[in-house]
Amino acid sequence: MQTIAIFVAAYRELSARRLFWLALGTTLLVVGIFASVGINEIGLTLFGLNGASPFFNTNAMSPETFYKLFFVKFGIEWWLGMLATVLALVTTCGIVPDLVAPGSIDLILAKPISRPRLFLTKYATGLLFAALQVLIFSTAVFFVIGIRGGAWEWALFLAVPIVTFFYSLLFSICAMVGMVTRSSIASLILTVMAWAAISAVTFGEWLTNQGLLANTMDIVACERVLADTTKPPDEDRRAEVEERLAHAMESRPNWLTAHGWFYWIYVGLPKTAETLDAMERVLIDTAKIPSGLKGEAFSGPRVFEPNEATVEEFQAAVHEQSASRSLWWVLGTSLAFEAVMLWIATAVFVRRDY
Amino acid sequence: MTQGSNPNEGPLAIDLSGVSKSYGRRVRALVGVDIHVRRGEIYGLLGPNGAGKSTLVKVMMTIVRPDSIQGTVLGRAVGDKGALATIGYLPEHHRFPPYLTGRQVVEFSGAMSLVPRRERKIRAGALLDRVGLGAWGRRPLSSYSKGMRQRAGLAAALVNEPQLVVLDEPTDGVDPVGRREFRDLIVALRDEGRTVMLNSHLLSEVETVCSRVAIMVQGRVVSQGTIDELTASSRRYEIVIEGTVPLWCGTSVAVQAMPPGSLLTAGISGAGTRLVFLGLDAAAAQPILDRLRTEGRTVVAVQTVRESLEDLFMRAVTDPTTGLIFKPGAAS
Repeated sequence: MQTIAIFVAAYRELSARRLFWLALGTTLLVVGIFASVGINEIGLTLFGLNGASPFFNTNAMSPETFYKLFFVKFGIEWWLGMLATVLALVTTCGIVPDLVAPGSIDLILAKPISRPRLFLTKYATGLLFAALQVLIFSTAVFFVIGIRGGAWEWALFLAVPIVTFFYSLLFSICAMVGMVTRSSIASLILTVMAWAAISAVTFGEWLTNQGLLANTMDIVACERVLADTTKPPDEDRRAEVEERLAHAMESRPNWLTAHGWFYWIYVGLPKTAETLDAMERVLIDTAKIPSGLKGEAFSGPRVFEPNEATVEEFQAAVHEQSASRSLWWVLGTSLAFEAVMLWIATAVFVRRDY
Repeated sequence: MTQGSNPNEGPLAIDLSGVSKSYGRRVRALVGVDIHVRRGEIYGLLGPNGAGKSTLVKVMMTIVRPDSIQGTVLGRAVGDKGALATIGYLPEHHRFPPYLTGRQVVEFSGAMSLVPRRERKIRAGALLDRVGLGAWGRRPLSSYSKGMRQRAGLAAALVNEPQLVVLDEPTDGVDPVGRREFRDLIVALRDEGRTVMLNSHLLSEVETVCSRVAIMVQGRVVSQGTIDELTASSRRYEIVIEGTVPLWCGTSVAVQAMPPGSLLTAGISGAGTRLVFLGLDAAAAQPILDRLRTEGRTVVAVQTVRESLEDLFMRAVTDPTTGLIFKPGAAS
């Protein structure tokens, strides 16, 4: 009874805000843009205007594949994973500070409800808003792909739980900061800063990991060349490989140290980007996007390439390592982070006098 | 409690002892407060700003965590969910969401107090009528005046049909007519058998409706009891006569002749000479009146006088050593 009442009150609170309707209107606008983009044998169309494209045309891919790919790359990566998230944070950042505002908190704490339950229910109302936004977007896109692409792809609705989970990682920071500072502005700014920091650490870990991997493969490849008795290298080649091996061995401690630092910070942080990557993987598999695009969809840019190992070997190693971080590892470490944020916020809420 | 019964008897709705609360090391908001409120009475909590009244109420409502506390509210430990479900609370400076209608405010309060959906819908309409907002129930609070918001808050506090109603400055911002209606409603709640704890700065309001009061100063309860009990020590007997002050007034003979009273003041007033005897009752005053008549004095007026609640309050909040009002704020 109390939970339903809090959810209903939260809906009333959100719907009383202009930002709520602005977010909803923007979502529908984005869907409108999504629906207005078409594909024909020449290329892409937008509001009836044609643009020739050698990659995006019906000879290269079906309309169904195009729309699914468009949903993944544009709908998830840019809209849901970036712009809609910022919009949702702006809309919901006041939920916790408003809960603990003088005059409001007295009314609700005097009721027979425990503080942890009250806080966690309020937190869930913020996620409900995000879920609602994703649901509206996914439903609209479902119909667009069905009508324009000719495929009724129910897997699109997987976006609702996964994007909501992604949002919950950021909203847990927002809720914790909101509880500690009691300020909507502070919680919004610090959450966005934390998101940027998480992205920077994720990028740093990826970068140093690539470097370390290239370094490892270089050493292995150099040693393989030097140890090859069937085709022994000539003296110049041997000297060159030995020099490269020495150089790789020399730089290895630096890579290990740099990656070690980034990795341990990275483990403790929520895997926001990886969560969306996982979403893409699931969608690509479930929605049967052609395998040629599959690898393209989640392989990152290559910064380092080993000198002695082949590009194919390096790519295979990158994929192998990427796969070693399972979905459960991503979800588990992210959930642990979220749990810590919520625990801090709950502890502050339970101990504080109002 | 019905009017006329002994306010010092009966089971306790609030029975708290040794309530203490400090903020950091410097500010002691409550210092071993004992408070005992009987079921079915209207209990007034008085004190200057910063005396700890609201803190005490917040401790009872689990909004502030005490450093130490013993006792019960409605027979259960403070913070017991079952007890909280049967308490109605209207906080000072409450802030209901302005986008909610009066009816939504009452219904939300009911839901949070575990009142079944159907029941709270019925009660919401009846309570809004009772507080004079029947025609405003479907309008948002943003269109309400401050007094109307207080009324809506009171309706929300009553939606769970509470055994104990805690009102913190309920008539703040309410016009005189509204205050009168609030007072009548508080008395009606008492007559329904509910206990009302009234925290107010308006002494006349408290004096009119409360059967017992407590005065708090700097985190301590300095006086607690019925208004009669608290003002008994200040009871005086005034005799106004024509002419000058009798020579025997203030002498040991006079004091011996007038047990148990003693002359407090004697002086010329507008209507004649006013003789004020402390703690004297009518029977004990007869010898004095006889003597005055024997001496041919004209007795203009005879009356018993006792301290008003305001006098009592001012006495309580005044430092007897310096004669200055205690500084606002919690004790440090």
